[in-house]
Amino acid sequence: MTERPGIITMDGKPLTLVGDEIKAGMPAPDCELQDKDLNRVKLASFCRNQIVIAVALPSLDTPVCEIEAKRFSDAASLFYPQVQLLVISMDLPFAQKRWCGSEGLAKLKTLSDHVGAEFGQAYGILIKDLRLLARAVFIIDGHGIVQYVQLVKELTHEPDYDEVMRALKKVLEVQA
Amino acid sequence: MTERPGTITSHGNPLTLVGDEIKAGMPAPDCEVIDNDLKPVKLSSFRGKILVVTSVPSLDTPVCDIETRRFNEEAALLGPDVQIITVSMDLPFAQKRWCGAAGVEKVKTFSDHRQADFGQAYGVLIKEFRLLARAVFIIDAPGKVRYVQLIKEVSSEPNYEEVMQALQKIMAT
Repeated sequence: MTERPGIITMDGKPLTLVGDEIKAGMPAPDCELQDKDLNRVKLASFCRNQIVIAVALPSLDTPVCEIEAKRFSDAASLFYPQVQLLVISMDLPFAQKRWCGSEGLAKLKTLSDHVGAEFGQAYGILIKDLRLLARAVFIIDGHGIVQYVQLVKELTHEPDYDEVMRALKKVLEVQA
Repeated sequence: MTERPGTITSHGNPLTLVGDEIKAGMPAPDCEVIDNDLKPVKLSSFRGKILVVTSVPSLDTPVCDIETRRFNEEAALLGPDVQIITVSMDLPFAQKRWCGAAGVEKVKTFSDHRQADFGQAYGVLIKEFRLLARAVFIIDAPGKVRYVQLIKEVSSEPNYEEVMQALQKIMAT
């Protein structure tokens, strides 16, 4: 498995990412994740005739991730069900279930990568030393092609939301 | 790594445990777990105290929550010679949140999510789910395993009385 040292930082310290870099234009790799009820689900099952925003983050139990997930939820819910928001982390499914229940975010789906770190490796955002996911956003169109990637360089920072929404609108226009 | 199929069940379905079985009388294997602030901690750093290690699938499930609160109450009654720790695959962030919300101060929580090092060393890693089985280990001050309780059905609580009896025996010797 490819290792990419120094791609991102946490509080300024360099971290190593595991897996190859995914770029816009590539077919979206498939992988298996776990839903809130411990069922195994394929990422590709969400990518049929639907635009997917896959938001990867370190843990929903940290303040920045929580703000980020809510912000994306508010933005993406305007385009639901044409656009499905997936929030993917190493949090256990139990933690994700608790989090969703308390936040009341019905249209957002949380998926856990904790069993096999498959998503992290397939999308090149597995942080080697921490076994957490880096902060990144991928937009996958209805044909299963990656149309947009944003990897946040400093783990403790929020992503550029406006850039994601502009990219989403472009993908929506093409799709329509 | 040894695999032990059918050793425990979840709602009646058999599960496979990874790692060798640990029995009373064996030297306690060392391993590394992660504390609430993401720092690695060696299990052997507790040497000199009687260490009660409870492993649970997730603090975000009702049985584990009840169990850990119960052990926290018990821990308050035991003096400074005994340390109770809970190990799970929950991320350190979830453990920190849980301890704050549950007011748990005596029991220290550690995460095994990074390497599954504890799970494998103590033979309680559930292969199918990458979660820890429910078990209790008592390790004496010199570092020998003195008591083991592996809960056969993962959704059941442990036998607390048996643990406390075993602990009192070890404290008396």
